[in-house]
Amino acid sequence: MSVAVRILLVEDNPANLELVSYLLEAAGHIVLIAEDGRQGLELARKEPPPDLIVSDLRMPVMDGFEMLRHIRMDATLNDVPVIAVTAFSMSGDQTRVMLAGFDGYISKPIVPETFVSEVEAYLKAGRRKAGPPADP
Amino acid sequence: MAMDVCGLLLDEAPDAFVVQSPEGIVLHWSRSAESIFGYVANEVVGRDLLDLIVPADRADEERSMRCEALETGFAAIESLRRCKDGSLVFVSISAKTVGDGQGRPQYLIVCKKDVTQLKVMRDAKLVDARYSKLLESMPDGIVLINASGRIVFANSQAEAMFAYEAGRLRGLPVEALLPERLRGGHVAHRSAYFGQLRTRAMGMGLELYGLRQDGSEFPVEIGLSPLETGEGTLVTSAIRDITERKRIERALHEKNVELAKANAAKDRFLASMSHELRTPLNAIIGFTGTLLMKLPGPLNEVQEKQLRRVQSGGQHLLELINDLLDIAKIEAGKVELVVEPLDCRTVVEDVAATLRPAAEGKGLAFAIEVVDESLRLSTDRRAFSQILINLVQNAIKFTERGCVTIRLARRIEGELALVEVSVRDTGMGIGDEDLQRLFAPFSRITPRSGKFAEGTGLGLHLSQKLAGHMGGRITVESAPGVGSTFALVLPEG
Repeated sequence: MSVAVRILLVEDNPANLELVSYLLEAAGHIVLIAEDGRQGLELARKEPPPDLIVSDLRMPVMDGFEMLRHIRMDATLNDVPVIAVTAFSMSGDQTRVMLAGFDGYISKPIVPETFVSEVEAYLKAGRRKAGPPADP
Repeated sequence: MAMDVCGLLLDEAPDAFVVQSPEGIVLHWSRSAESIFGYVANEVVGRDLLDLIVPADRADEERSMRCEALETGFAAIESLRRCKDGSLVFVSISAKTVGDGQGRPQYLIVCKKDVTQLKVMRDAKLVDARYSKLLESMPDGIVLINASGRIVFANSQAEAMFAYEAGRLRGLPVEALLPERLRGGHVAHRSAYFGQLRTRAMGMGLELYGLRQDGSEFPVEIGLSPLETGEGTLVTSAIRDITERKRIERALHEKNVELAKANAAKDRFLASMSHELRTPLNAIIGFTGTLLMKLPGPLNEVQEKQLRRVQSGGQHLLELINDLLDIAKIEAGKVELVVEPLDCRTVVEDVAATLRPAAEGKGLAFAIEVVDESLRLSTDRRAFSQILINLVQNAIKFTERGCVTIRLARRIEGELALVEVSVRDTGMGIGDEDLQRLFAPFSRITPRSGKFAEGTGLGLHLSQKLAGHMGGRITVESAPGVGSTFALVLPEG
């Protein structure tokens, strides 16, 4: 992807945070970092909003599901796709995540060779129109 | 000392004396009437007994007795009367008309004798003679009650249940067998039941309790049925002590709650274990990947070789975790199969297309042999594919030259039509000893070339479990040096 985009990365595990931000930065993207859902929400609300949010699900303080609910209630963040990168990858987890209203799902362990292109594909697809809306 | 015969007779005779007007208004109510019926004189005098002690269904009988006495001078009946506390007594009633000397009736003298216990003895005699053997042979406690609510018969099971000595229940009001708090309601229930006799099954109705002589309670189930005798209707009550059943029900309920909790805990544990094992693997596999992608900078040959080892170790660990979680889920009964009609051939061709490059990359021939066309299965597509992939991957892994063939055929076993998807290879084969433990977890085929083949050692174990879950099985035939055939067998349809 030729144009650099601003990606908000929300992840509490330092090693995974470093890995994902490294991959995204190596691909030329600008990465904003938050270590839990609450920080992520605060950062997302600062002008200008990020182009994409990549978030872990299980986090202290505020988890990914709750952060998504707040984001979806915020009109200024309406167009920002949010994708989940999670170690919840047993059968049924992907459905659960998509039903919660995420725009994409990548399971951990990630495949480093293809991770960036997966993220970019979700970015290109934008907000998911089909499927049920996020729980109120 | 002069004896007041009149006073003595009126107040101390055991029978109740009542003086009524010809219209039925009570003019005198003796002390023994007070003690039999519970009403004192000033509650009764000036009123009609029809409004006080005559049960509704006995009103006509009372009226016709009065008419008869007024017309003929005398009448006598045996009937039921209700006391102030609601209990019923059998009374023998005789009425005599006293005239005013000009041929007009002036008073009715009514004498009421309480024959409740006599009636019990009569009913008891009748029941004993006709039914006692039968009732004694019943496993339940049996109690017979007459219209006054008195027990006329109790079998020894009932006596034991309520802790009474032999014969001591006879004559008691049946309410004596109920806890105090249920008695009031019971008198009304009992009257209602006598008014509308029908057989009622055990256990219908409310939670009931019995009262033992020592005051302790126990839960009971009661069945009621009317028994017609020449001397009136009795009610048979079959009583079952359900203490033990209640205890078992409670224990079962507690066990179920416990099991549900344990199950939920197991689910949470599996989900957490999956999550927690994958999280560190993400860093291991991820950073190995970035290094091998040479994102941070170039690698020398040794570094690259060693990093490939880390990478494949990480991949292996991930496969192990996936397989172990799959097995745990099957064993916990958490695998939900989505059963749908499948066309075998299509699924087999899909799987073959995925794995053909691996076989041909090793220089192996790869073929599909369709013996029977249009074989249909109703099963879970994902599980079916997963097993087939496992069998084909194994065949490719253990075959150095020759071919891997997937064969699709119908197999008849007795009356059963089965679909058999077999995977045949021309690999090293499996010795008898290894065949025995092939499906056990972490079993490895004894190496000939000096090294074990790669893999988790869980693939066949998992496939066999999954096949069993789908109502099928995996069979194997092999000859060392010639090759092996693994077959997934599922019911057709």
